[in-house]
Amino acid sequence: MTTGSDTVASRAGIALRLPPRRSPILLGAAGVVGLVVALLAGVGFGSVAVAPGDTLGILAHRLFGLDIAQTWPATAETIVWDLRLPRVFEAMIVGLGLSVAGATFQGLLRNPLADPYVLGTASGAALGAAIAVLIPVRIVILEFGLLQGLAFLGALGAVVAVYRLARVGGGAPMTSLLLTGYALGSLLAAGLAMAMYLSGAALRQIFAYLLGSFESASWGRLAGVVPIVLVASAVIVLRARSLNGLLLGEEAAVHLGVDVRRERALLLGLATLITAACVAVSGLIGFVGLVVPHVVRLVVGPNARLVLPLSALAGASLMVAADVVARVLGEVPVGVVTAVIGAPFFLFLLRRTQRGYEL
Amino acid sequence: MPAFLFSLRSRLHRPSRAIAGILILTVLLAACGSAATPRPSSPPDATGSLVPPITATPGPSASAAPAFPVTLTDDDGTKVQLTAEPKKIVSLTPAETEVLFAIDAGDRVVGKVDDPANYPPEADKVPIVGTFAGIDVEKIVGLGADLVIAGGSGGTPQDAIDKLRSLHVPVLVLYAPDVPGVLADIQLTGNAVGRSAEAEALASSMEAGFADLTDAVDVATKPKVFYETGDQPSIYGIADDSVYAQMIELAGGDPVTTGSATNWEMPTEKLIAADPDLIILGDSAYGVTAAAVAKRPGWSGLKAVKSGAIKPIDDIVVTRPGPRLLDGLRLLVAAIHPEIALPSAAPSGG
Repeated sequence: MTTGSDTVASRAGIALRLPPRRSPILLGAAGVVGLVVALLAGVGFGSVAVAPGDTLGILAHRLFGLDIAQTWPATAETIVWDLRLPRVFEAMIVGLGLSVAGATFQGLLRNPLADPYVLGTASGAALGAAIAVLIPVRIVILEFGLLQGLAFLGALGAVVAVYRLARVGGGAPMTSLLLTGYALGSLLAAGLAMAMYLSGAALRQIFAYLLGSFESASWGRLAGVVPIVLVASAVIVLRARSLNGLLLGEEAAVHLGVDVRRERALLLGLATLITAACVAVSGLIGFVGLVVPHVVRLVVGPNARLVLPLSALAGASLMVAADVVARVLGEVPVGVVTAVIGAPFFLFLLRRTQRGYEL
Repeated sequence: MPAFLFSLRSRLHRPSRAIAGILILTVLLAACGSAATPRPSSPPDATGSLVPPITATPGPSASAAPAFPVTLTDDDGTKVQLTAEPKKIVSLTPAETEVLFAIDAGDRVVGKVDDPANYPPEADKVPIVGTFAGIDVEKIVGLGADLVIAGGSGGTPQDAIDKLRSLHVPVLVLYAPDVPGVLADIQLTGNAVGRSAEAEALASSMEAGFADLTDAVDVATKPKVFYETGDQPSIYGIADDSVYAQMIELAGGDPVTTGSATNWEMPTEKLIAADPDLIILGDSAYGVTAAAVAKRPGWSGLKAVKSGAIKPIDDIVVTRPGPRLLDGLRLLVAAIHPEIALPSAAPSGG
């Protein structure tokens, strides 16, 4: 597989350096193991001590229907099954989604600073959430409230607006997309600031949304988000070839037989859909979507066929681990933890890669 | 992350102390709505009480100890069913913690929200299940709580309330928009924890205390009072119709408000135009002193500054909607009308 990126790079004549050779299968296996470890840690730790035996017993009993003598208190079962497990799964799906979306945006826009929020999703979602907080109506559909609904629509709406505004002729040039995203994002951020100014006592709710959290995770919300994120991510992974082509530039992509206009719109739409679903349930968690794809690229090279699935695994594990740390420290905002864990690790990898690093 | 978000976030963080201060006070006050303030000069009703009957706000009117099971309607209008007398109570507002201890239910409080004022001292050992930043639902479930008393109107995050209810933990949401509301909530709490008689005794003694105090401050002149709630990054006062304004009026003062029901920031120009007779420093706990106030640019011409009428106060006692609200009114009267000899302090406990 590494030879794949090798040829792609040399064909395009871009200064892509070869990373140390590592078996992608081994890396994938390591990613899966990491995910399982993160899952167990996520279910095992919390502010209430539940014996590891009881935790495993509850999981075996509820997950696999094993007939185990119930030695644990009912509260332990509620904590593990209704509070911790949905939370761990939500952290996983959001970590996975943001990482895949981040890798996609970075490739599409050929910009190492791109992240899932680059085209206005974050400010759109935040403004939507803030407006929902200001509207004194409580609507709950399938465990999704007005806040989740408007955040989702805000994120989608922002990118649709950016895409339309940036469109010249048939397609939207990258620079134009980025700048439009920046401009519209600033405008929406101004709206958000105004909403916060007007919010009075509700300011705390908006603030909590901006910091991000998995506290309100539930099985019902997972049922809404997991299909969107998993299906959209799977489609993106299946189109990794197009992303590889686009990474080389439009002309090269055309020569490789990629329908640039269609593929770009499709990938952009899918990555936006994933991001919107993630930010709707978890709020704005930064850093993961920016850094995880870079870390994976530093390890396996730029081939999207490897970068996308490995980013998904790494992002999911990192997010669960960060959430465990956040909970153990007593509900520190999870975005703070992802940055504190991720930034030094990223810097370490970046320094260790003595040769230059490019997308 | 795009640059604008960074700048947005840093903008959020910079005035964090002021925001936290405003949040704390709005939450502590539970925003205290736009409900009409009972004026000291209004004619007392048949019982000689300034405060309308407790049944005026949502809540059960029953004053006799209700047998369990009981269904109560909380201040959000939610019907809360309690099958038996709660044995493990979690209090998610500092005011409710005070109420529970005041009505002799303190020994059943198994968890509380962190209280910077740490009151009453007996509540010191109760495990903390939440802070200003958030509520630890897992801990509450782990404690086996059979009643959670939460703050309404954003006092307790709605997510936490929904989550607890989805796990079949009864949650009573309380939110007092005004002084009668505080008394009604004390009664509602008593009914919920099987201490109706104690709650009624506390509420009626407070009611009588309020009546006595407001009778005593039946004054002709009402000094203009500016109550400062924060000084970082700009000066924060009190919003229109907030509980602060209500308490100052009860204490025989004329509150200088920001002119908005939601905005707590006080423009200096507006303050200078209002020219208060007295400045009360609700932010004195944060190190704001009279000397510092006098040195602020533009403030030297204020009547209150020239006459040295700048007084610190214990902000929590003045505004916490619990058993000590009467003490708070007493502090305010002492600050606004030092010439009035106050009726002797009635015990505020049950």
